[in-house]
Amino acid sequence: MPPPAPTTDPRFAEIEGHRPYLLRYALAQLRDGQQAEEAVQEALVAALESIGSFGGKSSLRTWLTSILRFKVIDLQRRVVAERVNVEFDEGAQSEDDDWLDDLIAFERCLDRLPPAGGRVFFKREVIGEDTETICKDEGISSSNCWVILHRSRIALRACLEKSWFGKDADGGG
Amino acid sequence: VADDVNCREASRLLSVAYERKLSPRELEALQAHLDECLMCRNFESQLNFLHQASERFRTKD
Repeated sequence: MPPPAPTTDPRFAEIEGHRPYLLRYALAQLRDGQQAEEAVQEALVAALESIGSFGGKSSLRTWLTSILRFKVIDLQRRVVAERVNVEFDEGAQSEDDDWLDDLIAFERCLDRLPPAGGRVFFKREVIGEDTETICKDEGISSSNCWVILHRSRIALRACLEKSWFGKDADGGG
Repeated sequence: VADDVNCREASRLLSVAYERKLSPRELEALQAHLDECLMCRNFESQLNFLHQASERFRTKD
């Protein structure tokens, strides 16, 4: 069954009214107009599909932003994955190969982190958001955030030990 | 005299140094530990590597 046409939903206009704000938000994170619009579009569609679960406890804008936030992160991951695939197809060679292997290993290890840890690490280290913003968004204290980041770093280091650090490590050898 | 820190505490300080400035006392204790601990010096350079990799992950074009 296809989802009901968005225009039949009475809240469509209300949701649509937040589009400019959401676009600004996505643009700040993605810095690419086309990707930002894509993320916003996906978020609005997802919002309409699950409007029934919106309890009105937070403002509609806060709720929409939280959906968009995940779409943005999703998109960033997808863009990287596509890029990797393209480079594979083109048979990228030489010095880039090493980095490509590293990138794939890095992504795999990121995926293996617990969801909260992966998200916080991605925002902090990859997107480069400041800790304060992340804490606010995740609803955690800064010391809790630091603990999550520390655990994520330890887990990533362990995960990457074989593919990266093992390669040219001569410690003890 | 610097506080003694073990590997667990040293690694925590190395990580948290990416989030906030360490106090002079923390820095001194950390440095004293690093001077004597190869394992933690390795951990320090691996964290640095991880940090740079994340940066490349973002900016790769």
